[in-house]
Amino acid sequence: MKRVLVAALALLTTASLFADVPVRREEFIYSILAYNGRDYSGTFCREESDTIYLIADVDNFITTRKTFVYFWPITGDYKTDTSSLNEPQEGSLELFSRGQETQTENLSPMKYTYYNVRGEYELNWKVAKGEEAGQVWEHYSALVDAYWESLAAYQQEKMIYEMLLSELTKKIGELRQAGQDMSAVVEKLKSLEPPPEPKQPSEYIVPPVPVQQAFIINLPEGEYRIRFLNPDGSVMEGTEKKLVTFARKRSEGIAFEVIPGDRWTRPVESNTASSVLYVDGSSDLYLRPFFQLEFNDLFYEKMRKNDSLGNPNLYKWARIQQVPGAGIELTLPGRQATLVREEPFYVEQTQGSALGYQIVPFDPQGSHMGREPSLRAFHVPLEADTRSVSVRARDRQGTVLEGSSRQIRVVRDNRSGILLTLLALLPLAVLLLVRLKRKRVYGAP
Amino acid sequence: MNHRSHATRVLTLRRLQETLLSPGFYVAQVVGLFAGVYLITRFAASVDSSGFNFALDPVYDLIGRSLQGTFGQAFAAKLFSEGPFLFVLYMSFLPVLVYLALSSVFRFGLEKKAGAVELITYGPADGTACLLSYFVKDFLLTLTHLAVLIVFFAVAAALNNLVLGPLFFYSLGLLFFIALAVYAYGMLTTVLAPGNPASALAVFIGLLVFFLILMLGSFTVVSGYVRSLAATLAWIVQWFSPAYYWSLGFRAMETGNLPFFLLTVLLLSILTAAILTASHLIIKTRGVKA
Amino acid sequence: MIETRKLTKCYGAFSAVDGIDLKIKPGEIYGFLGPNGAGKTSTIMMLLGVIRPTSGEITLFGERYRPGRLDLRRRIGVVPENHPKGVWTWMTAFEYLKMFADLFAVKDAGPRIDFLLEQVGLREVRNKKISEFSRGMLQKLSITRALLHDPDILFLDEPISGLDPIGIKQVRDLIMSENREGRTIFISSHLLSEMEKICHRVAIIFQGRLMAEDRMEFLLSKLAQDREIQVDLESLPAELPEQMASLPFVLGTASMDNTLVVKVPKEGDFRKEISAFMIKLNLVPLRIQESSLSLEEAFVTITNKNIEMFADLGGHHES
Repeated sequence: MKRVLVAALALLTTASLFADVPVRREEFIYSILAYNGRDYSGTFCREESDTIYLIADVDNFITTRKTFVYFWPITGDYKTDTSSLNEPQEGSLELFSRGQETQTENLSPMKYTYYNVRGEYELNWKVAKGEEAGQVWEHYSALVDAYWESLAAYQQEKMIYEMLLSELTKKIGELRQAGQDMSAVVEKLKSLEPPPEPKQPSEYIVPPVPVQQAFIINLPEGEYRIRFLNPDGSVMEGTEKKLVTFARKRSEGIAFEVIPGDRWTRPVESNTASSVLYVDGSSDLYLRPFFQLEFNDLFYEKMRKNDSLGNPNLYKWARIQQVPGAGIELTLPGRQATLVREEPFYVEQTQGSALGYQIVPFDPQGSHMGREPSLRAFHVPLEADTRSVSVRARDRQGTVLEGSSRQIRVVRDNRSGILLTLLALLPLAVLLLVRLKRKRVYGAP
Repeated sequence: MNHRSHATRVLTLRRLQETLLSPGFYVAQVVGLFAGVYLITRFAASVDSSGFNFALDPVYDLIGRSLQGTFGQAFAAKLFSEGPFLFVLYMSFLPVLVYLALSSVFRFGLEKKAGAVELITYGPADGTACLLSYFVKDFLLTLTHLAVLIVFFAVAAALNNLVLGPLFFYSLGLLFFIALAVYAYGMLTTVLAPGNPASALAVFIGLLVFFLILMLGSFTVVSGYVRSLAATLAWIVQWFSPAYYWSLGFRAMETGNLPFFLLTVLLLSILTAAILTASHLIIKTRGVKA
Repeated sequence: MIETRKLTKCYGAFSAVDGIDLKIKPGEIYGFLGPNGAGKTSTIMMLLGVIRPTSGEITLFGERYRPGRLDLRRRIGVVPENHPKGVWTWMTAFEYLKMFADLFAVKDAGPRIDFLLEQVGLREVRNKKISEFSRGMLQKLSITRALLHDPDILFLDEPISGLDPIGIKQVRDLIMSENREGRTIFISSHLLSEMEKICHRVAIIFQGRLMAEDRMEFLLSKLAQDREIQVDLESLPAELPEQMASLPFVLGTASMDNTLVVKVPKEGDFRKEISAFMIKLNLVPLRIQESSLSLEEAFVTITNKNIEMFADLGGHHES
């Protein structure tokens, strides 16, 4: 009997390893490319979902298609199988807005592209629509083409340079062997300059995407309804959705990206103003301040991924872009405040068989010549006796940035548990005293 | 001093004496403090070079998963933004709140059933003085417990280099006023429910669970269906729920909006006063006989 | 001291108390009688301000009384039938009394409590928890509590129910003693024999209506149809009852062991004639005693109910 049970258990367990093949359903979906405050990210709204969430007063892009939708249990979310089916739907979008009276607007797909231009701020997103989209794309394409051309020319020149270099070196060698004067040849070698490497187009942080067509949604904060119309004007059933556009609640927020020295590839974020960052003090910290915006938790999560869950009564901070030209003021207890600037650092692997690395200041003229810094950040040293450090960010002009105050506290495991436990028992001691006193007065507890 | 306030004062002192002579209050305090000790000492183990991380300690991992799964990541992050004390405050306060509320409901029901309230009202006291004395007793003991918690947490913070931040102190105030509303509901259920103290207790617990479910329906990350079901009912009933004022207060606290916080506390006080007034009118009409 | 005018209490369509007029005079011991369900408890609750009358008036100490008049309650002391069970069990007798003394703002509460405890014989158990008190001790404690604030009127509901004979006597003596000091006593009880011994006036309520309210002797006298004279003899000859019945004033005779019971008219005193008749027959009466109508009999007459319902409460009954 026991063997049968064990066998049954084993079979059941094994059976569970074979995941069910996900059931795919052909569905009409809205593909959404939504601006999340930092960049554009994609999600989709399937048939069962009744609401689309977008940030207000920015350009968002919606396309319609038929594809397979399935639930993927490993990640616990819905996915599309556009490789098997991807039928863009022709038609228009009917938009209902509720104000004094219901207004309707018909939207047609429009050409667009978006890009991020390099400037003082990290984020300079721009959207080009219609004809302008084509022009932007052409401009970018021209830049890229010019780059490729100059790259090709550079390759040629480099080849010639290397050939000349090789010939002259060979000549010098022959002359040396022959015991002849090679100074002229050496001079000629010295005068050879390598061709300059062409630079990639630096106009963009994020270059324009290829021009596409989509319904561009840019609406003030509110609730709307949309539905898809076929080319003949009829409503496609099952396409009506609520559309919620939401604005940020607060914008005076500064987040810090916290990079620990011993785990520099796994930074964490500190979003809440006046919050306290507790660390164990085992390594220095490297901070980077970011602007952040506050959004409704549910709306923001669903904007990023339509199937997400969120708390409708909470607000969360969403990191936007790094504060340019910032300084970080560090204050240790009883000491003067010091201002730290962003500096480049390099991660050096530990030599020999021991694993590990150390973060050192980047030395472009010395040991790190020809390399790129591993990170750029603000160094916060934590000495062995450091208990706390106050931190706040200042902008380029030196003004303290609102919402940037943080405290860093070093928490070391100690034996305080015993004392605290004894303290926690004090109420019982009080009870004992009370009872004893009563017994003394009245002769019985 | 008028008769009712005099009677309330006398009865409150006796009820305080009764509570302070019995072990229940102290045990509830110790349970709360032990929960605090455990969570505070485990906090250090949950901190590494990059900061606080739920996953580093099994107990905090469980807490983190539960909070994130129920209320969302944003809430869990805010709850621990100043360290452990905000969460620990709730855990340490809860046993005493539950003990005081339930014991008052039960004792008042028992006194009504036994005829003790009637006996008191033969004198210069009325039913309102009796139920107010329970309320005031719980008010004073709650203040005492909060004072104990402040001292305890201050010591713990000093020993462990932790911070008692502004959210902590806001929460202290908010919890106090929420507790008063809960105690007031306790008195209301006692005057409404039939003479049996057990049934009064059942009604009271049922009411609190109802408010909690209502709050969970609107404050959590549950599915849209559950939320829409709760939302309709919640819109009306939420104004009577202490849990709703907690969520308002939490929003005021995290935005550092003192005027909004004070408004929440004022609304909570009005709710408490309204519940006590209703209890007074009911006991005046129904009388004090079980 | 207390007057009611057309005092009524209705529970829905049911009238528990139907327009009763009571008058309790200062300094008297007033008995309030009625079977279960007569409206006694409702009347008492209204007099104490625990429940509101449906209609009618209550005048207390010359002032219109309603439940909100907490000031007038300072002049009332109440001893309910049962001490509340399961509450205040942690208190000692002193603490229990101190609580009520504080409630009534009694000055010098400590000495007053000790004095009263001495009076009822509970001084030695002052610091004992009341959870350890017997029923009799609790009753005495209850009376002590009611007397703490020196009330003008004392309400007692079944004050001797459940007490042993010694306890009954103690409570009776206490009541009488308090009354001698000028305190008005209002007693509600089923023990009619006790009520007969101590009450100056009684009121009988039945089915919500006041059946009678008068001084004890007047009430009994009014209700008695005739009188009975009991003659105790050394031995009772068999023919004596018949011989006695031949006398013109004798309405009837009965014999019980060596006692002859002679029924005579209410008016007139015939003990001398009876005594003379006995002597003529060479019989020496050991005792000649008039027995008037008992309160029990009066109660039955009024309510026309079988008094067996009172058997378990100590009252005698006749089949």
